[in-house]
Amino acid sequence: MYTFICEDSPNGIFSGVYDAWAFKIQQNKQMPDGGGQSGSRAAGQTRCTHDDIRLTSREPDNYELFSQYFPVTPSAEKSDKVARTLCARLGTEFYETVMNALLAVIPERKGEIDKADAIYHTVVLALSSPAGANTLHRLNHPHVHRVFTLSRATANEAHHLLGFLRFRELENGVLFSTIHPKNNALPILAEHFTDRLPQENFIIYDENRRQAAVHAAGKNFMLADASDLDEAMIKRESCREAEYQSLWLAFFENIAIRARVNPKLQAQNIPKRFWRDTIELSRTGGGHFPPSHAPLPPE
Amino acid sequence: MNIQMNMSLAEKLAILSDAAKYDVACTSSGVDRRGNGAGMGNSVAAGICHTFSADGRCVSLLKILFTNECIFNCAYCQNNCNSDVPRASFTPDEVCELTMEFYRRNYIEGLFLSSGIMVSPNYTMGLIYQTLYQLRRVHQFNGYIHVKAIPGADPVLVEKTGFLADRMSINLELPTAEGLKKLAPYKSRHTILKPMRQIQNRITENKNEVALYRKAPRFVPAGQSTQMIIGATPEHDYEIMRVAESLYQKFDLKRVFYSAFVNVNQDANLPVLPGGPPLLREHRLYQADWLLRYYDFTVDELLSEERPDFNIYLDPKCDWALRHLECFPIEINRADYRTLLRVPGIGAKSAQRIVKARRTAALGFSDLKKIGVVLKRALYFITCSGKMMYRTKLDEDYICRNLIGDRTQIPREIREAGYKQLSLFDIGMEP
Ligand code: SF4
Repeated sequence: MYTFICEDSPNGIFSGVYDAWAFKIQQNKQMPDGGGQSGSRAAGQTRCTHDDIRLTSREPDNYELFSQYFPVTPSAEKSDKVARTLCARLGTEFYETVMNALLAVIPERKGEIDKADAIYHTVVLALSSPAGANTLHRLNHPHVHRVFTLSRATANEAHHLLGFLRFRELENGVLFSTIHPKNNALPILAEHFTDRLPQENFIIYDENRRQAAVHAAGKNFMLADASDLDEAMIKRESCREAEYQSLWLAFFENIAIRARVNPKLQAQNIPKRFWRDTIELSRTGGGHFPPSHAPLPPE
Repeated sequence: MNIQMNMSLAEKLAILSDAAKYDVACTSSGVDRRGNGAGMGNSVAAGICHTFSADGRCVSLLKILFTNECIFNCAYCQNNCNSDVPRASFTPDEVCELTMEFYRRNYIEGLFLSSGIMVSPNYTMGLIYQTLYQLRRVHQFNGYIHVKAIPGADPVLVEKTGFLADRMSINLELPTAEGLKKLAPYKSRHTILKPMRQIQNRITENKNEVALYRKAPRFVPAGQSTQMIIGATPEHDYEIMRVAESLYQKFDLKRVFYSAFVNVNQDANLPVLPGGPPLLREHRLYQADWLLRYYDFTVDELLSEERPDFNIYLDPKCDWALRHLECFPIEINRADYRTLLRVPGIGAKSAQRIVKARRTAALGFSDLKKIGVVLKRALYFITCSGKMMYRTKLDEDYICRNLIGDRTQIPREIREAGYKQLSLFDIGMEP
C-alpha cells in the first residue's frame, strides 16, 4: 500500500491526485515484464494498481508497517493540470462536483472514507470507465457516494449563504460581509456576487478561515489572505447604513403573520448558526414579538 | 379613511409590508438570468430564500403593496375600504430606492409589488408600470420582479408591465364564482380570468418571438401564478384541486398558491376558526399540488365526489397508495420512472437517482437508503431483486396503522406549532 499525505486544500488534494497517478505510472514502467497479479504488498514485484494507492488529507494517527508514505507538496502547476484534465475529459459539471467535495469540511467519523481518497478513486474510476462523468451516478459505489455526500454538503451550505449573507456599506462605499461557513463556500459565493453586483466594490470575509474574496467594480474577484484585515476600517459604516438596516428590520418584523408564528419552523429553515451574521435575526432574536414600529393589525 | 400626510419612509414601509403579508407567493424562482456586467442583479432559477420570518415562511422578495388605499370592499381583506387601518402610499421613487438598497445588501432577491386599488384599476396599474419602468430602465435593475396585474386594468398597460416583470399574477382569491360574489362583490370570475388569459396568450406568442429572434424582449419569463384562500368559503378539497388542475392545464400557470384563511376583519360573512388558520389542510393541498405538477397524478385519482377531502392523517400519496395496493409491490431495479414516483417515500430526486444508479449494478435496500429513499415508508411497497425488506403483509389496515404511527405524517412544523385539534374546518368544512 502506498499512502499519499496531502494538505487539506484544493491545491493540496489535486497535487496528491497528480503525484499518486504519476507514481503508479512510474512504478509500472520500472517493471521488466509488465507485471502479474495486482494488489501485492511488496512494491516493484507486481503491477501497481489504483487499489494499492491511498490518499489522505490528514496526518495518519498511526503509521502502518507495510505501507509506504509520501508527503505531497502542494503545487499550483500540478493541480492546474489535474483541473484542466477533469474539465476537458469529464466536463464542467463533474469538475464542479469534485470541487465542491474538495471544499467540504465534514468532521471525519470512524470508518468513513477520507475526502482525498474518495476524490482520487472517483476521478480514477471516471477516467477509466466508459461511463465517464456519469460515474457520479453510481451512488452504490462507496467512494462515489462519499464524493456525492461531501459535494452536497458544500453546495447546500453555499446555496443557503447566497441568501443569508448580508452586506454592510462602509464609509468608503465598499460593501462588506462577514461569514462563518462550515465548509469553504467562499469561492462559490464570490463567483455568484461577482455576476450579481458587477459594478460594486465588495469584500466577503470568512472570519473562521481568515480569508476574503475581494471584488473591485468591473473586475473579477480575487481570493486573499485576510489575517491583517483593518479592523477599524470595517467598523466605519456609511452615513445611511443604519437607516437602511432599520428599514429592513421594520420590513422583517411586519411581514410575519401573527396567527402563524412558529419559531421552530423558522429555526429549522434558517439554522441558528446563520443567525449571528443576519441582522434581522441577531437583532430581533427571530422577531417573535409584535413589531415595535408597526400599526397593530386588527386581529 | 385614515390617510396621513408626510409619513416617513419607515412608517410607510411598516404599513405597506404589513398589508402585503397575506399574499403567499414569495418565491423568486423560474428564471435563470446572468448578470449583464453593467446594471445590478441576476436571477437563479431555483429561487433563493434570504431569511425566514417569525412564522417560518421564506422571505425572498421585498413584498409590499404600492398602496393600501382601496376603493373596493373584499370581505376577507384587511385593506378593504371599510376597515379602519392606517393608510399609506409609496411613490415610484421610494419603491426603487428600497429595492435597490435592499438588493445591494443582499436582503432580497427582488421585488414583489402588489397594490390596493387607488382611484381606479387603470390609475393603479399605471403607477405600478411607472415604478417597474424606472427600476429596469433608470436604475438598471436586473433582479427578480413579481408584479400583480390589477383586474379591470387596460390590457395595454398590463402588456407593457409584463415586459418589465419576471412573473405576473392575478389572484383567483376564492375557488368558486359564488364565493367571489359573496365576499368580493366588485370582482368576478370574468375580470380575473380575462387578464389571466391575455397574459397566457402573450407568453405563448413571446416564446415564438424569442425562438425567431433570440434578443427579442422577454414577456413574463418566469410565468404566471395565482392564489386561493382556503377555508373562508365551504368548498371541498376536490373542488379546490379541480380548479387548480384546470388552471395548470388551461391557463399554463406555473404555480397555484393556497393560503390558509386568517380572519382579520371579523366580518359576519366569514367563518370563525377557533383552531386558528387551517394550516394542516393547506399543507395537504400543497402536497397534492406537488403530485399534480411533478408526479404525474390527476385530481380524479386522488379525490372524488364520494371522497371529496384529503385524509388529514396521511399525505395524499400514501393515501393513494393504500387504496391501490393492487399496483404494489414494485421492483426497484425494473420499474419505470413514473412508477417509482408513485411509491410513498420515493421523491422525484430519489427516483432520478435510482434510474441512473441501477444502470451499473442492481440496487439493494442499503443503496436505497444512501440514495435518500425514506425506507420506513417505502418498505411496504417495493422489492429489491425480488425480495421485500421484511416479511410484511400487503394489507391496507396494517400498513395504514404503521404509516400513521410514523410521526412525520403530520409535518413537524405543524406538530410543533402546537396544532391543537383538527378543527371542524379541516375535516368537514361545515360552516
Ligand atoms: S381589491 Fe379587495 S383584496 Fe384587493 S386590496 Fe382592495 S379590498 Fe383588498
